[in-house]
Amino acid sequence: MKRFKPTLSHLSRRTFLQATAALGGASALGLRGAYAQEPEKPAEIIVRAWGGSWVDSLKAGVSDSFTKMTGIAVRHDLTEDNEIQPKVWAAVAQNRVPPIHINWDTTTNATKSALRGVTEDLSDLPNLANVTDLAKPAGLEGFPIVNTYGYVYVLAYRPAAFPDGPPKSWKDLLDPKFKGRLAFYNDGIGFHFPAQVAGGGKLEDIPGNMQPAWDFITKMKAQQPLLGEDPDFTTWFQNGEIDAACTISTNAREARKNGVKIEWVVPEEGAKFDTDGLWIPKGLPENELYWAKQYINHALTKEAQQVWLDGLGLPGVVPGLTPPKDLVGDPSYPTTEADFQRLIRISSKIQVENESEWFSKFKAIMQG
Amino acid sequence: MRAARTAYPLKWRIMDALEGVAAAIWPARFRRATPYLMLLPAVLLVGLLVLGLIQIADASLRTLDTTTFQFSDDYSIANFRRALTEPLFLVVAQRSLIAALIVTAVTLVFAFPYAYLMVRTRSPGLRKFLLIALFLPFFIGQVVRAYGWLIILGNQGMVNEALGLVGVAPMRLIYNYPAVLFGLVQYMLPFAVLMLAPALTAIPEELEAAAGSLGANWVRTFIHVVLPLARPGFIGAGVVVLTLSLTDFAVPAILGGGSHDFIANAIYDQFFRTSDQGLGATLALMLVALGSILVGLVFALFGAGTLAMGRSRA
Repeated sequence: MKRFKPTLSHLSRRTFLQATAALGGASALGLRGAYAQEPEKPAEIIVRAWGGSWVDSLKAGVSDSFTKMTGIAVRHDLTEDNEIQPKVWAAVAQNRVPPIHINWDTTTNATKSALRGVTEDLSDLPNLANVTDLAKPAGLEGFPIVNTYGYVYVLAYRPAAFPDGPPKSWKDLLDPKFKGRLAFYNDGIGFHFPAQVAGGGKLEDIPGNMQPAWDFITKMKAQQPLLGEDPDFTTWFQNGEIDAACTISTNAREARKNGVKIEWVVPEEGAKFDTDGLWIPKGLPENELYWAKQYINHALTKEAQQVWLDGLGLPGVVPGLTPPKDLVGDPSYPTTEADFQRLIRISSKIQVENESEWFSKFKAIMQG
Repeated sequence: MRAARTAYPLKWRIMDALEGVAAAIWPARFRRATPYLMLLPAVLLVGLLVLGLIQIADASLRTLDTTTFQFSDDYSIANFRRALTEPLFLVVAQRSLIAALIVTAVTLVFAFPYAYLMVRTRSPGLRKFLLIALFLPFFIGQVVRAYGWLIILGNQGMVNEALGLVGVAPMRLIYNYPAVLFGLVQYMLPFAVLMLAPALTAIPEELEAAAGSLGANWVRTFIHVVLPLARPGFIGAGVVVLTLSLTDFAVPAILGGGSHDFIANAIYDQFFRTSDQGLGATLALMLVALGSILVGLVFALFGAGTLAMGRSRA
């Protein structure tokens, strides 16, 4: 009996959906033999990722199990998310095959790509039926991106530097003893919104009136903070360069895993909550697009999310995940409505449209 | 027949054939154009650079629409207006320029004695040592060297540990403007020495001996003989260090702690952080213009240095 094997040119949407549904069902049931109508497998797929514990977690949770399931190798491209973006945009504009199959990206960055029209629609992924609202990118049609987890820009600190107890407010960092001992992201990401509250402003005024945020950041500038990227925070804590930082909890947790005494809090003004996601650039051959979608579909399974996000210490988008033991009840791992009420979430659309101006304003203050 | 072959060996025949081919491709009547043919690769390379600059100029006149993240079809000078009016870019440009001038001056002061000793020493061993010490940093990239300073000068670095032994509390030696200047001087020193050494080699030692025999002490000899004759080297080294410092990215990024950016860092931010390639292109053009003006000024004031342009013909 001759089996029908769809060629690339004959891979219709219907066939694709059938195959996807079959694969989704098969992966759920653990039936490896159900790839009868699958398109040709590429030797590898390339997933852009952040380095260090980020890529290690992705590999352990998603990539390795995907390779085991499909036989397709996964190569992780550690090009910075900001640097891969123009390459992907240029490839799509020039009708070239993009340099990666999947971009693991911040939702804000990914939204820029979606607005530019360089992302594939992922609405037909079967496992989207099982995810929470967090997976849906706000303010965009369909699923040009799938959010895969959320994270919090916490106030991480060395307990030894706060002998009277954990900091309660972002204002505590204005204590002169912390001069030169603080760190923020070099574009201020994660700090703009809490600064708005700490400066006496309202979140509803974002983006119209953010003067309270700029005033508070100006006060913070007098503390001569260090400005860096994700890996810098871990290094600075480890090397004793800083006492406190506004950083993603994953970086603080990584430093703690490396033996640094470090804790974190969500201060009374709140902390920014945001999401990261996965997306596929346009211009891939159809069979590679198919398998890239399968990778993302696999990343949305409970099993993959559990291992991946245990590594990152972040809450996922699939119901029923178990928090890592060290993060049960932790404010950086929100699970309940009450947890989320302490966090600040601003829509990606507002962030994307104003980010450039905010970054410039923050830089102007800090570089002045 | 055999004798004739011996008289006209095979390799001569090959050379004749090659000459014939060369004459067919480039006939003798084109001979006057041969120097221009030699220039062609360089002209092509510069042409590619110019093409890139034209593209950058085109991008600089397009503004970013943040609702679609596409660039405008129309041209405008909005990016130039932003670049010239936003305090951030003025601060960064001023910082880069001042740093470039300081680094150039300090590097030349440090490079001269090194180059002089390397050229004038009678000890081959010392010369080799100085040469090795000069070239060794070239094998270590700029980024690695900057990270090396983080290890040495960091809070838990070697210097602070040594200070701790004598009871001095750890102090912040990096992530500030002096650290950036220090890192740049260290990076630029070999370039300056390499540019100065040929100029010093070209100064006959007899001239210094003659100045001495006429009663000049070493200070007067240095001021009135060595310095003027070494001017081409100073100018060449100065131009190289000035332009490299002005356009540097890694040292301010690593040793500046994020709050001592140069123009190149601001350009990176626009290209890769805010996705505003139009504004990034504008800043890049302005950096090229600033560098060109500075080099033009140096050439106008002091001549073309080691290029020896404008030298009067004997």
